[in-house]
Formats: sequence, C-alpha cells, structure tokens
Amino acid sequence: MTAASQLAQVRSVAAGGSAAAFVLLCIMTGIYAVHEPSALSAFGISNLLNNTVVLALAASGLTLVVLCGELDLSGPGVMAIGNVVVATTSTGSLGATGNLAAVLAIGAAVGGLNGFLVAYLGLQSLAVSLGSLIVCQGVALLILPAPGGEVTDTIVQAVSGDIRAIPAPALIMAVTAGLWLLLKHSRLGVALYAVGADEPSARLSGLNTRTTKLSAFVMSGIVYAIAGFVLSAEIGSGDPRVSDSFLLFMYAAVAIGGTSLGGGRGGVLGTLVGACILSVLQKMLFALGVADFYTNIFNGVIMILAIFFGQLSAWLARARHRGQG
Amino acid sequence: MKIDCGSRLSTGLIPAALVAAFVIGGIAEVSARDRYKVFLNMSYSGNTWQAAAANGIKALAATPPYDKTVEFKTVISGTDVQHQISDLQSMIASGANAIILYPLSPTALNRVIKQGCDKGVVIFTYDSTVTEPCAHNVSNITARYGANTAQWMVNQMGGKGELIFNHGVAGTTVTKTYDEQAYGVFKKYPGIKIVGDFYGNWNDATSQEEVAKILAAHPNVDGIWTVDGTYGSLQAVLNNRPGRLVVIAGQSNNGYRLMLADPAMQAKGLKGISSSAGPAVGGYAFKLMMEVVTGKKKLTRSNIEYPLPWVEAADVKVCQGDSFVGGCNSFPAGKVAPLFIDTALNGELLPELGLAAVQEGKATPGARIEPLPDVHYADNLPGINCSNCEPTKDWLKPNRVAPIAVP
Amino acid sequence: MRMRKARALPRAKVVPEAPPVWRPAVGPDLVPALLVFAATGLLVVGMMLASPSFGSFDQLTAILVTAIFLVVASFGQGLVILLGGIDLSLGVVIGIGGMMVAGLTRGSNDALMSAIPLTLLSCAGIGLINGIGVGLAKLPPFITTLSSGITFFGVALGITAGSSQQPVAPALQTFMNSGWLGLPYPILFTVAFVAAAWLFQNRSAEGRKLYAIGSSPGAARVLGLPVAALTIAAYAISGLCAGLTGILLAGYAASATLDMGSALLMPSIAAVVIGGARVTGGSGPYLGTFAGALFLSTLSTVITALSFSQGLRDIVQGGIILIALLLQSGRLNLRHHRWRWAHHQQGGGLT
Repeated sequence: MTAASQLAQVRSVAAGGSAAAFVLLCIMTGIYAVHEPSALSAFGISNLLNNTVVLALAASGLTLVVLCGELDLSGPGVMAIGNVVVATTSTGSLGATGNLAAVLAIGAAVGGLNGFLVAYLGLQSLAVSLGSLIVCQGVALLILPAPGGEVTDTIVQAVSGDIRAIPAPALIMAVTAGLWLLLKHSRLGVALYAVGADEPSARLSGLNTRTTKLSAFVMSGIVYAIAGFVLSAEIGSGDPRVSDSFLLFMYAAVAIGGTSLGGGRGGVLGTLVGACILSVLQKMLFALGVADFYTNIFNGVIMILAIFFGQLSAWLARARHRGQG
Repeated sequence: MKIDCGSRLSTGLIPAALVAAFVIGGIAEVSARDRYKVFLNMSYSGNTWQAAAANGIKALAATPPYDKTVEFKTVISGTDVQHQISDLQSMIASGANAIILYPLSPTALNRVIKQGCDKGVVIFTYDSTVTEPCAHNVSNITARYGANTAQWMVNQMGGKGELIFNHGVAGTTVTKTYDEQAYGVFKKYPGIKIVGDFYGNWNDATSQEEVAKILAAHPNVDGIWTVDGTYGSLQAVLNNRPGRLVVIAGQSNNGYRLMLADPAMQAKGLKGISSSAGPAVGGYAFKLMMEVVTGKKKLTRSNIEYPLPWVEAADVKVCQGDSFVGGCNSFPAGKVAPLFIDTALNGELLPELGLAAVQEGKATPGARIEPLPDVHYADNLPGINCSNCEPTKDWLKPNRVAPIAVP
Repeated sequence: MRMRKARALPRAKVVPEAPPVWRPAVGPDLVPALLVFAATGLLVVGMMLASPSFGSFDQLTAILVTAIFLVVASFGQGLVILLGGIDLSLGVVIGIGGMMVAGLTRGSNDALMSAIPLTLLSCAGIGLINGIGVGLAKLPPFITTLSSGITFFGVALGITAGSSQQPVAPALQTFMNSGWLGLPYPILFTVAFVAAAWLFQNRSAEGRKLYAIGSSPGAARVLGLPVAALTIAAYAISGLCAGLTGILLAGYAASATLDMGSALLMPSIAAVVIGGARVTGGSGPYLGTFAGALFLSTLSTVITALSFSQGLRDIVQGGIILIALLLQSGRLNLRHHRWRWAHHQQGGGLT
C-alpha cells in the first residue's frame, strides 16, 4: 500500500467517527435550544464557549498523543502548574506574554520528559504519565498550597472577553482547528497517523517513530500549558486542585469525537466536537430537568453510546472503503 | 396635512409601554411573592457530611409554608469547577429567584455569581465561601476552629506532651486556615511535640490507618488534633492501646460523642472536644436565604458566621426522641450509625429538623418554619470570604478558650 | 535380559502456551518482583537507621494490616492489565461493596452470611458488565470502565445519598481489628489471599491463558482460546476483588461511604506497574503486583514519618513510579526485541 492510499484510507476512516459526533452535537444542541430559549443567544453561546474552551484545548493535546498510539495522564498536572504559575506571577514583572511563555516552556518540558521516556527508553506511556501527573500535582501544591493568587484583568479579558464582537474562546478554538489542519497535512501529521496505526510498519517504511512520538508529547505538553493558561483566565485565580476532575472528561471528549484510543484514527476536529458535546450534554440534561444524581448515570451511558456509535460508523466506513478496494 | 409620525408614535407608545411595564412588573412581583424558584447546587457528593447537609435543606424546603411557596430543585455539578459555572448559568437563565450552593472555589465562581446578582438572584453559600461581595457566605470558617481546639487541647494536656496532627484535604482554604491557627498555638508551648502528621483527607478509614501506623512508632502519644476523621483516629487508639486513651479534638460523630461521655472511657484518659463544621449550616443558610428573599430580613454585610459547635464531655446529652429538644445533642448508640454527624441537627436554630429530615430529606410532620434570631456577622478573611479587605488582627488566636501559661 | 524401555523424550506442549512468549513466572520474570521486595526492605532499614522510632514490630504489623486493601484491589487490577486492559471503575466498586455490606448487615451479625456473597456477586456483576463491553462489544477498556464507574456512582448516589446510614456487622469489625495468636487476622487473610492469587495467576491453566491473550490476542484466538469469555471473567474477578476490598475496608473503619475507594484506584495501577507488569499486557507475575502493593504501603508510611507536606509527598510518590519504571527499562530493552514480534500483531497500545 502506498503512503498516499494509506493516508486516504486513514482520512476516510477518520472522517467517519467525527461526522457521527457532529451529528450528535447538532441533535443535542437542538434539544437544548428547544427547552431553553436563551441557548442560542449571543450571551448563551458565549458562556457555553467559555465553559468548553479549556476542555477543548486539553483534549486536543491529548488527541495528539493518542493518535500515535500512546496514552497520557499528565494533562491535568501540567494544567495545574500552568494555572498556579500564572496566578502567582501574573501581577509581577513578567506581563501577560511573559506568563504565557513561561507556562509554555513548562508544558514543553513535561511533555519532553514524557516523550523521551516513552519514545527513547521504551517505557509504558500510561505508567510514565501517571508518575509525571502525580509529580506535577505535587509541584502545583508546592507553588500554591491553597486557592489564591490573582490573574490580571488583561489576561482575563483577552481570553474570555470579546475580540471585535467575537468571543475570544471561539477564536481560540478556531485557531486550534486551523493549526491542526496544517499539522494533519504536514509530514509530521502523516507520521503521527502512521505510527499510531501500525508502528512496526511505520518504522520499516522509514519513519523515525521516536522523534514522531517525542514531538507528539512535546506538542501535547504545550497545548496542555495553553489550556492551563486559559483556565487561569476563566477562573481568575489559582487553585492547585482545580484540574483534578479534567482527566476523565478529556478522555471522554477524545473518544466521543471519534478518535480511537488505540491510535491511528481520528483527529483534533472530532475532539473539539467531542468537547462541545460534553458541554451541551450538561446543558441539555439541565434543560430536560435531569440534574440530580441522574446526571452521572446519563453521562456514563451517553458516553458509552457515543463511543459505540462512533466505533460503529468508523467500522462501516472501513468496510465501505474495503469494498471499494 | 402632515402627520407627525414621530410624535404620534411617541404619544401612543410611551403610555402603552408604561402600562405594559406596570402589568408585567406587577405580574412578576405577584408571582414572586407566591412562588419562589429555588435551587440547591451541590458540588461534592458521596459522603456523610454532604448527604446530611443536602437532606436538611431538602427537608426545610418541604416544610410549611415553603412546601407551597418554594419550587425547589437540586442540581449536582460534580467536582469540576467549570461544570459548576455552567450549571449556575443554566439556573440563572431558567429564572431562579434564589440559589444556595456549595462552591468549589473561593474565586472561580465570582463572575457567574455577579451575573446572577445583577439579574436579581439571591445567592447564598454554605460552609465553603466565595469572595464575591454580592453573595452571602454562611460558614463557621471565621470561628477560629483551629486556634480554639488547639488551645483547648493544650490546656487539657497541661502544656506538654506528644501530639499527632491530622490534616484535612491539602490545597483547600479551610485546611490552610485551620492548620495555621493550630500550629500557631502549639508552637507557643515548647513542651508540646508533634511526633507525626498526615493527611487524613477528612476520611475516617484513612485516619484510622495512619494513626495506627504512627501510634505503633510512638507509643506515648498523648493527643490527636483533627478536623474530621476523628472517629477513625480514635478507633485506631482503641484498637492498639485500649488501656490508655488520648486528648482529642475533632468532628461531632455520634459514636465519638457517646464515647466522650462514657465514664469508662474517661477513666482510661479520654478527653475530647466535639466541634468542627456541622451539616446544619446548610439548613441554616437556606432558612436565612428564604428570609432575605421574602423580605423578612435585611442583611447589611455579606458574611454570616454560623455558631461553632462546641460540646465537651459534660455537655453531652442523649436525646430520647428523634430530634434535638431540651438541649439534647446526641442519640443512643443503636439509633444511628456511629459516623452519623450530630451537628446535622441544631435544636435552637433548626427546630424543624429531626432524624428523618437529615437522613432522608423528608419534612418533619407537623413542623412549621420558625423565624431565625438575629445574625452574627463574620470576620473578614481575605481570599476566603472577601477580596479587598483586611483580616481581623488576631485571626490566629483562640477566642473562646483562655490560654494557660507556658509551663 | 530385560531391556529398559527408553524414556520418551518430553514432548513440548503445543497449547495453551502462546507461541512466541516466554513462559512467565519463571526465573527472569520474577526479578522485578524480587527487586521491589528488596527496595521495600531497604526503605524500612533506611528509615530505622534514620529515625529510631520507626520500624518496630508493631509498626510493621500495622503496615501489613493496612496493606491488605491495596493487595486485594491490585490483584483484580493486575488481571485486567494482564489482558492489556484497565479497570477504572475500581474505586467506585469498592465504595459500593462497602455500602452494600453495611446496608445489608445493619449493625448485626444475622445477615452477614448472606450479605457477603450478595455483595461480592453484585460487584462481580459490575465487573461482568465491564467485561462484556470490552470483550464482546470491543469497546476501549479505558472509556468503558470509566463510564461504568460514573454510571454506577450515580445509581448508588441516587439510592443512598452517599453514605451508609447503618453500622457494619460487629463480626466484620472484629475480624479486621483483632487477631489470633498475636497475628492480626488481616495478615493471615493476606497470606491466604496471596497464595490463592498466585496459584490462579501463575499456576493455573486459566492464568496461563490470560498471559497468552495479553501478549498476543491474535495468536490466542487462532489457537482457539476463548478470548471473550476469559476477558469477561477477568473483569468480573476485578469487580469481585474490588467488592472484597470494600467489605474489608467497611469492617476496618466500621463504616462505609461511597467515595471511600477512590483513593485506591491510582495506587492499584501503580502497584501493578511497579511490580514489573507491562501495561500493554502479557507479562508480570502476581508476586510482582504483591511486591508493588507492599512497597507503596511502606512508602506512604515512610513519607508520613518524614512529615512531608502534601506537595512533597506527591512529588516523591510520582518520582518513585518513574524511577521504578526506569530501573525496569534496562531489563525491558533486552526483551524488547523478543516482544516486538508479539506486539507487532496488535500494534501496541490499549485498543
């Protein structure tokens, strides 16, 4: 199979999963809007985007690692460190861009460490990232032992306000999608898919699987750091434990968006849709009057159904493609 | 003939608009008096304390006259702060008149709370606080639990001895505040040595495990300071050193209170104080919120202090019935589980609540909402219940236990 | 003259040993486990030298008693990881197990005989559902167990509002907090449990089949192994172990809350990993998992004895996991070439 046809197959298969997710998102938004008139107002959409953007970014970072066949638990740890660093230093001499740069450097460092251990030393990614998650949580607690700190208005406004009447989070997600499309069509993007789909074959066909995986981890670390920065703006302060609950939603967003947790299939666009689905799901359940303990049950069941649905449609897409030869 | 559309419109529209506004406003006001849309927003769930607090609030919302005037709904947001923000926005958009919540963060919710206040929603928090001034915090975090209990223990221990320190959950403002206060007091007495400290995470099983291990290494421990996980900490001592018990400060679990008052335990050296945050603060916050919403009370400041429970061995009084009447404050051993938190009930402030109320969320038959006495406003604690404010000067010092001299 | 019949040469068994895989639980595979035991010993000795109050017989006994929860929970987790999966519903099932036994016994011993099997069956049932999702519907284990955990948490929360109103049967409390001839019952239980677990995982045909499936599901299927059935069984056993942990924890603490198992989830995974198992499945003797559980329990006691702040504790625990992985990587690289052939079939990773 030539690289081009392999890529085409991968692309069509990938599209299958995220298209299903998009359909689901539209249905759920419809149900939500029917029950809650302010859902589609500018205010409502802006609120929704503000509540989604952090998860969308974090899950996008995770997607990069999952695509090349690995798992990563360290996202919330990097986000926590990013958040407490911004909260403790934003009113200092660094300024907003300085803060962002510092946070990006930390994210790249953690991602680099994970990537090195996994790609070059062959350690298991689940275990390595579990270790680095716990270390990062510890570092965040050391920097800021209890909620506090302050995030300057500049950062808060820039990230959660409006830029020429468009909500900043929408722009952030659009930029993420745009950068992803660039990556997907680049050599590194193709390599990511190839390594995730079949690592030994990828190696045999000349790809440097190690640098591919390392790049995936470093990029994801940087994206997690951005998510932490955006989180700081959204909550306006620092909290060393605020990101603890993100882990499961990150994986849910990735899986619901059609990316296979085994690697080689899916993409960031699907993940962005997945993150939106989770946000709208919460709104929809509230609008339907299901907000007590039932929310958990619905969340769990809908997640499974969405993944099942996504796998089914991807399988159908694969079967269809195989039929075409 | 030139028709002046503008003036015709304005003379026609303005009165029409005024009438409409009056009618709509009038309708809104009438329905606001008849029926209030009230939400309980929980974040944490799955433990005894939260369950008791939520049940108490639900029971009060079902007690006359609120059973007819309050449209009550519970929303559980989980531990994700952005989920709580999203749910609060949903509640505000759906026309809430009042929201009582357990906030996950002192500052992250400020923006959405401000949105709510601007729309006229009355917002109260219970136990956990926020720094947004338009919300009302009802808590005893300002009652100096850490300093008072530490000083009480020092007094009981005569200013010297070995101590185990049971931290709560790391990374929370309440743990940081109480730890600072307690350490501040213990450090003043060089005879007091903290031989072991651990993070019990307000959990009895964890506390029991850790105390057992520390006790094995330090068999001469004289005291244990806790915020919660007290029963478990004491269990460890009972299992490993039943002949010689300890001085202990902590929660108000029923089993713990009964042990305090037990002469056999006292003979072996058990001296304890039963205090700590009680789930009844939720019910009290709800009643206060409803009095504010219905116009019966006007609050001049944001932060209200809920009285700190403070029960010593001599104060323990076992109830005969199902509620705290006549000053009784605990139940017989078989009636409730040993971990049942007695401070889920409050005989003076919440006479409407009985056992069924806090265990199942059901209104007590025949009860009616009683008015609350005047409130006690709370101290300022920057970063905890206010943002641009100065802390009270002696917030680290005990204010209900007089210190003994350093031996 | 009688000719002694020539002894037939031992014929290599074709099934159930999976083809390219080295038989586990023999020699080299035990080395990580032994290393971890040694590390635990070093930890204890080091602390005893550094602080005279550490390391008394009582304290070591206390460590062993409290290690029981992790030992039981990590066995189930280990079986699932052996297959290349993971069980993230463990914490919730522990809570449900504890709540059930408290709710069914209501402070008396009468219902104990029926309460325990009922609780174990229900928790195994949750594991069964996980197994069906992973084994039959081929859903990714990570998300499946995560979602089922959330769902069952919601169900239990709805039924109980989060805490058990009833005290736990006294017999259970006595079992967990007293002993026989000076040895606490939990330690005796641990010994029995470890023996049974080891026998199952490393000495039974079922156990060997699990290794085979974990290292090469494709080959296992070709050989006719009942992959789906064994997958379901492994997850059911994981649920059972979680339920058992819940019962033990409820007995120890004389109470039960829904979130009492959440602190055991990550350590159960860490114990399996530190013990030398590959998260991609197919290797790791039970002794390794046991060593990992023991090591983590000792480590947490040492960290407490050193009075670290929570931040430092986290850094040390995370760092230890990374170091354990690094130490094993040297050995893994040697076998990496052997494994690559096996993993080639499945493309690696948790699918």
